[in-house]
Amino acid sequence: MRLALERRAQTTLAMQIASPLIAVALTLVSAVVIFIALGQDPARALHAYFISPVSDAWGLQEVAVKATPLVLIAVGLALCYQSNNWNIGAEGQLLMGAMAGTWVAIATHGTPNGPWVLPAMLVAGALGGAAFAAIPAALKTRFGANEILTSLMLVYVAELFMDWLVRGPWRDPQGFNMPQTVVFEPEATVPLLSDGRLNIGTPIMLVVVALAAFMMVRTLKGFEIRLVGEAPKAARFAGFSAKRLTWLVFAISGALAGLAGILEAAGTVKQLQPNLSPGYGFTAIIVAFLGRLNPIGCLIAGVFLAITFIGGENAQIMLKLPLDVTRVFQGLLLFYVLACDSFLLYRVRLIRGAAA
Amino acid sequence: MTLLEAIILTVITASTPLLIAAIGELVTERAGVLNLGVEGMMIMGAAVGIAVAITTGSSALGVLAAILAGVGLAAIFAALALGLATNQVATGLALTVFGLGLSGVVGAPYVGLQRAGIGKIEVPILSDIPFLGPILFRQDPFVYLSIALVVGVSWFLTRTKAGLVLRACGENHASAHALGYPVLRIRFYATLFGGACAGLAGAYLSLVYTPFWTSGMTGGRGWIALAIVVFASWMPYRAAAGAYLFGGLTILQLHAQSAGVPVPSQLLAALPYLITIVVLVLIMRVRSQGAAGPQSLGTAFVPDR
Amino acid sequence: MPSEPTNGEILFVSMNRREVLVGAGALAGSAALAGRAAAQSPLNVGFILIGPVGDFGWSTMHDLGRRRMLEVLGNKVTANQVEAVAPPDFDRVATQLVRTGSKLIFTTSFSYYQATVRAAQANPSVLWESATGTTTGSNLAIYNARFYEGRYVQGVIAARKSKTKQIGYVASFPVPEVVHAINTVMRGAWSVDPAMKIKVVWVNAWFNPGREADAARALVDQGCDVLCQHTDSPAPLQLANEREIFGFGQASDMTRFAPKAHLTSNVNNWGDYYASRAQAVLDNKWSPSDTWGGLASGMFRLAPFTNMTPEEVSEATKIRDDIASGKLHPFDGPIVRQDGTTVIPAGQRLTDDQIRSMNYFYRGIEVTMPT
Repeated sequence: MRLALERRAQTTLAMQIASPLIAVALTLVSAVVIFIALGQDPARALHAYFISPVSDAWGLQEVAVKATPLVLIAVGLALCYQSNNWNIGAEGQLLMGAMAGTWVAIATHGTPNGPWVLPAMLVAGALGGAAFAAIPAALKTRFGANEILTSLMLVYVAELFMDWLVRGPWRDPQGFNMPQTVVFEPEATVPLLSDGRLNIGTPIMLVVVALAAFMMVRTLKGFEIRLVGEAPKAARFAGFSAKRLTWLVFAISGALAGLAGILEAAGTVKQLQPNLSPGYGFTAIIVAFLGRLNPIGCLIAGVFLAITFIGGENAQIMLKLPLDVTRVFQGLLLFYVLACDSFLLYRVRLIRGAAA
Repeated sequence: MTLLEAIILTVITASTPLLIAAIGELVTERAGVLNLGVEGMMIMGAAVGIAVAITTGSSALGVLAAILAGVGLAAIFAALALGLATNQVATGLALTVFGLGLSGVVGAPYVGLQRAGIGKIEVPILSDIPFLGPILFRQDPFVYLSIALVVGVSWFLTRTKAGLVLRACGENHASAHALGYPVLRIRFYATLFGGACAGLAGAYLSLVYTPFWTSGMTGGRGWIALAIVVFASWMPYRAAAGAYLFGGLTILQLHAQSAGVPVPSQLLAALPYLITIVVLVLIMRVRSQGAAGPQSLGTAFVPDR
Repeated sequence: MPSEPTNGEILFVSMNRREVLVGAGALAGSAALAGRAAAQSPLNVGFILIGPVGDFGWSTMHDLGRRRMLEVLGNKVTANQVEAVAPPDFDRVATQLVRTGSKLIFTTSFSYYQATVRAAQANPSVLWESATGTTTGSNLAIYNARFYEGRYVQGVIAARKSKTKQIGYVASFPVPEVVHAINTVMRGAWSVDPAMKIKVVWVNAWFNPGREADAARALVDQGCDVLCQHTDSPAPLQLANEREIFGFGQASDMTRFAPKAHLTSNVNNWGDYYASRAQAVLDNKWSPSDTWGGLASGMFRLAPFTNMTPEEVSEATKIRDDIASGKLHPFDGPIVRQDGTTVIPAGQRLTDDQIRSMNYFYRGIEVTMPT
């Protein structure tokens, strides 16, 4: 007896919408079971996790602020993964972008400057991330070195390099020799859009999502990305160069990760310090897959994951639920989404007999 | 004991968990399955291992429980990635997140407790040979097991029919299926084996290396193990070389600091990662055989009947 | 175990959006008024931890401190805590603690310091305390413990115990706290034997058991036979036990991890400080103090001396008591840097700010300062 998967001929729109909803429903049911097992009131717990983060204007802004770096990076990663380039090093590219932008901030610190400082920092951040992502791209195209390994190893290198910078050359001279840079000047800080923490990072992210969606659906490049990933031989036949595409998608995703990095450093933290990123580069991989490697999907998935993170914090405050429970949830959510999505592509049948 | 001897012994200790996890993942990937959840399985092995060992007082039960924990998580992965043909990269990542969280929940009551680590096995007489004696004949059981795994897996993959079939599933699952081999079942067992090894590696960490539990104690070793598999071009002896290279560099940089080498500690700490990249590139230039890995790695197999 | 719901939670559950905003504002306002007078509703104290509660080191000890505060003050206080908060998330967590009614918030890492300064300015009706922060504000206090006092005692004991005359130091990062700790260990050691030496390995983490164990092995293999650590896991001590040498624990009493090797540990004890600060708020006597508590204050203590001869114990006890009473001060002059320049001559003493920002090693320590 076994499960057999039969490819469906087509998937209706209704099914495509129902699938993630069913996954969410399954996660909520599992959550209720877990809460009851931990001795919590499920209604209050569900409220803390999913309703409280979006229950007022401040909460919605926080979701936007948390989702912005996740979505930015995920959109770039989606382009990579669609074309079979497995960039696992977004975390390192994020840090490199933060460092590149910080270099501009430090170089202009203390002297009167114009409004050009912040755009220069953002551009520097994007370039820094792109340059760092070029390393695994080069190693892959020149030497055939597997980009999973190279991009992952470079994450550690980037972390250690940043550690050295903030403890050594970039250490704040007034900072009691603590490992952090000077606090960025106001011109070097990402401007806010409201009295909450919403900053221009979010509109930038939305523009990026729109551009990426347009590119994937309407341009030849988008078609090329998808074709190279799904049918490499056909792509070669059509004259698309997989190597050039590798350079391009790594550059784009590196740039987006770098941009996210400098937006975090100059936006929420306003200085560079060792534990700048809570693993955004890796969480973004999950977001990319939750979003089915589609820019709009990444946006929705990023928002949803941001809600679970913030909900997890609220649950710690209001219910004393430990952080680990949040992780268990996020893992379960991913499992269910992946499983439900499978039903979109395949019909499952029980078959008696020998295994495949 | 000379300094060199002491360093070699420390390197062996540091490299063993990497090697055990890498061997397991190597078998999984040779069958065509990319399981990125090694970190999650490893840390669950560590948590369950020490939890059971403290509760029952038996190290052996702890190790067994750790293996079962790894197998259990691998089974979840297999149910999704093999049973429902979900995307393997995403499923593996979900497994990592899930495993990290669950390990924290399982291990929470055991924070601050400790027990004696599993001791070394001493081969009488032979272990008194100067220099080679302690290195070869006075090690804890995991070290010997890791060597046995390398030898056994290599022999299995290259010398047995079952190993050949497993490799065929990884290279070209359609052909293997056409020849009548149960591709999904083979991949399933390979995945479980990978989980068992990851759980065993985790047990090593919490029962021998640093015999207590704290959250996150695997410290990213699962990811290093994944990298070692790639570095090794999916060949078991090369995986051993990669594990010892990485472990060796990690230990040497600590010794360099202790000896006062005037290089920034961050640069020394980055050396293992940088050198791994460099060595990989050099290997790629010298030979490209087996370089890209099993052709069907990561692609789901859904038989069309 | 679920705790009693605070007013904040009941609001969230039963009201809609606008009412939440209005209600939260009213609650904050009325709580501020109530807090100034004799409080009838319990004081809501917030804690933001940089690491997980299970790290068995820095964050675990703050969590224990929170529990001790709850023990001491009973139902006069409630506590809300968020663990493993990365710097970009700090602002939101701090704001959420304020929104759910915290009136006194402890932020337990220097990574949060600048953000705490901003949060204090943005929330003047809430009182803030930053561990290892550097400057106070009108509603911002800073606190830390003079762990270096314990290091001096450790140095004395190490000199007595060491046969190879070499101390191994498993260090985290070259921040002033670690640097002045290393200096002070040696100062204590030199008071017994001027020939003592030290080797340092930088683990580049506050907590990483595997790497700490590896670092300890490297130090021992290179000839050190007493281990000090500035990292939080029991791994180095376990190694010391295995190699049959001696070591000092960190942050908590680690005797049970190394029954034969353990000499003493700096044991963090934040709970009494937290209780006294919360009581001060309740009594309306809170002030933005700069508390750097030494042995005398109880903010940390030395674990009971183990594996030492009676003479060694009484010597260590005497030195400890001398430091606690102020008769002996680890940072009295003369203090000379590695390059030979004198920082202060005999008869003077380093100021707290000079200690806080120390980034040089003493002459006689053959360790290069990283960058």
